[in-house]
Amino acid sequence: MNGADTMSRNGTTGEKTGTDFKMVTFSLGGKDYGIDIMKVKEIVKYSDYTYVPNAAPFVRGVYNLRGEIISVIDLRIMFNLPAPQSSGEIQEGLILRLAGGDMGVIVDAIHGVVSVSSENFQPPHPLFGDVNIKHVSGVAENSGRLYILLDVEKIFSTEEVSRKPEPQVPTVDVARTKERAPAAEDGPETAFIEETLRTFRSFFVGPGNREWYRSRFLEWKAQRGEKDLQITSPAEADLFLASFYSTDSGRFWSRELADAFSGLLEKPAGKTVTVWNPGCGKGFETYSIAAALVEKFPDRGIKIWAHDIDLLAVSTAPNLVFPQADAPEYLRSHLVQGKNGYSFKSAIKDRIFFEYHNVLHDSVLPELDVVVARDLVSFLKDADRKKLIEEFHERLRPMGLLLLGTHERIDDPVRWKRVENKGVAAYKKIQPGVEGENEE
Amino acid sequence: MRVEYINPFVESAYNVLKEVLDCPVTRGELYLKSASTPVLGVAVLVGLAGDVEGRVLFDMNRATAVAIASTMNGEELQKLDELGKATITELANMITAQAVTKLYELGFRFDLTPPAIFTGDNMEVSTSQVEALIVPMEVPQGKLEINVAIRERA
Amino acid sequence: MKLMGGMPNLNEKRPLGLRDDGTPYRVLVVDDSMFVIKQINQILTSESFSIVATAGDGEEGLEKYKEFFPNIDLVTMDVTMPKMDGLSALEKILEFDRNARVVMVSALGKEDLVKRALMTGAKNYIVKPLDRKKVLERIATSLKL
Repeated sequence: MNGADTMSRNGTTGEKTGTDFKMVTFSLGGKDYGIDIMKVKEIVKYSDYTYVPNAAPFVRGVYNLRGEIISVIDLRIMFNLPAPQSSGEIQEGLILRLAGGDMGVIVDAIHGVVSVSSENFQPPHPLFGDVNIKHVSGVAENSGRLYILLDVEKIFSTEEVSRKPEPQVPTVDVARTKERAPAAEDGPETAFIEETLRTFRSFFVGPGNREWYRSRFLEWKAQRGEKDLQITSPAEADLFLASFYSTDSGRFWSRELADAFSGLLEKPAGKTVTVWNPGCGKGFETYSIAAALVEKFPDRGIKIWAHDIDLLAVSTAPNLVFPQADAPEYLRSHLVQGKNGYSFKSAIKDRIFFEYHNVLHDSVLPELDVVVARDLVSFLKDADRKKLIEEFHERLRPMGLLLLGTHERIDDPVRWKRVENKGVAAYKKIQPGVEGENEE
Repeated sequence: MRVEYINPFVESAYNVLKEVLDCPVTRGELYLKSASTPVLGVAVLVGLAGDVEGRVLFDMNRATAVAIASTMNGEELQKLDELGKATITELANMITAQAVTKLYELGFRFDLTPPAIFTGDNMEVSTSQVEALIVPMEVPQGKLEINVAIRERA
Repeated sequence: MKLMGGMPNLNEKRPLGLRDDGTPYRVLVVDDSMFVIKQINQILTSESFSIVATAGDGEEGLEKYKEFFPNIDLVTMDVTMPKMDGLSALEKILEFDRNARVVMVSALGKEDLVKRALMTGAKNYIVKPLDRKKVLERIATSLKL
């Protein structure tokens, strides 16, 4: 072995042993393959992808790569190689960086990175291997192994792959997805959409909002068409969710909403009306509630605990200043003018405790008359949502009022009595076994 | 925690550290923890009373404590001895007191109790399920976490 | 905060800690922190004050004052201390000796506290962190009162 043969462990003399080409090698159906390392973004273990039944057969599903939704292809199936049925195990694979976007592929086993000299590539023999020859850029030998170099750009530029999964007659094999199974009439597309809403905006589709979701999905599909169905960015998720948010979200309540709310309120048993307003944001809702209560119960004390986990939003709430035009007429008697605009009189401000608080942590609260939690529980995962609604139930006095978002429901007639006033629906706590007054 | 309480602690931590260490001070992003056990090795606890009940916990590792104490004393301490402990305790006291002073100016009546220091050898501070606001601070001597848990008196 | 104990006095005048007759002012330092006592010690001795005693809480402070009386010219008194806090100790020392010179030294600067201390009879109120210049100025002023 002369000194010029250095890096490769190739014992054969006469071959150049430079290493100008690096590839990630793996095995597939018993054979060894390689992909140019420049095309490989990362090596992963797929443990958590969303299995999508009835997409194109080699499309295993979608994978959430730090917020980016990518398709996952099983190369074994694509190359008509024997592939084990998905059984929930962790699978090895790669994320490819392609001209058309990122793509995930599943393989049998990853070997590692191998350096070869591009001079040692041999053209693929027409009868060589199982893989369609047009997908192979060549063959290279290294340490006694033969690697089939895949031209991934070519492979994934074919029609079959870039086409989005067809909506087919769905089966309900969703063993891989967490938390919920879409109902029979939902297709694989809704699984995608639900996943992206969850990923981009932490919005969880569940029994409480499924009704809204279904009709929104159909609307969205009609608007966007098959090709453009997917939500591919937070901005698109926001578009989808735009119709979810409650009446007068993010601003002072209109007279109508305030009146409807007022009409749902019962006279409190004690001297003070106690209110919990989790998810208060900048406080527009909270001030609206305070004003409504002050007007309805002028002879009672009022205490509102307003919580949010968005520090920036909630920290501006105690000193909220705004142009007069932002406040509906009916609120004006509660306002005082300052240098930079209008704010609420201390008679209102003093009744509210704005806190930076995660409502999933322990809260310190007295027995409550009212809970206003609009568009909050839909942004909690299943277990947390159930726990919080349970906490609402515990903390409210019997027949206490719970106001959820316009498109949020509770279906639990044993514990929550649905009430309505002027188009606004809410729930009253039923204390099982207690003779409550029947309000309406 | 009431939002009005937040700034006084954040500003006070920054101001006092800047003044006593005379060095660059950076603050990390604030966040909430559901329970508040000290974790880093050296902890100083200052009680809060008055309109509220609660406490401020200063959490840092031993090396940071020694380095800060050394700077504050103008001499190199080899370990966290009695002087070092007294120094860190006083730092916690000053930060808390300045916050309490600011809060007073805002109309909130807080009081503080004498601080207590706990180190690895006698770390008996119990975990409490009280939500705490975490203010992460960083100085050349290391990182320290200021952990504030306050609840309104019923 | 810069500690400059031991630095030569650039001032031509005599050190602040010495009286006209050259004898040092005698100081009692009351604070529950060993660190603060060391700090005050360093600042004052650098100006030739004489620290004659220290105490770790209000009760001990009162005892020491009585013990050394009338040989204490100045007391520095922390506010937040166990057993007996600084305001109570201030009151009791003044009850014992209405001419006692007590300067509060505290990290707490609440207006109500400061007012109460001064109205009770403290000569001055210094807020921590301690600044050498500030401490010496305030103490010098207090000695004249």
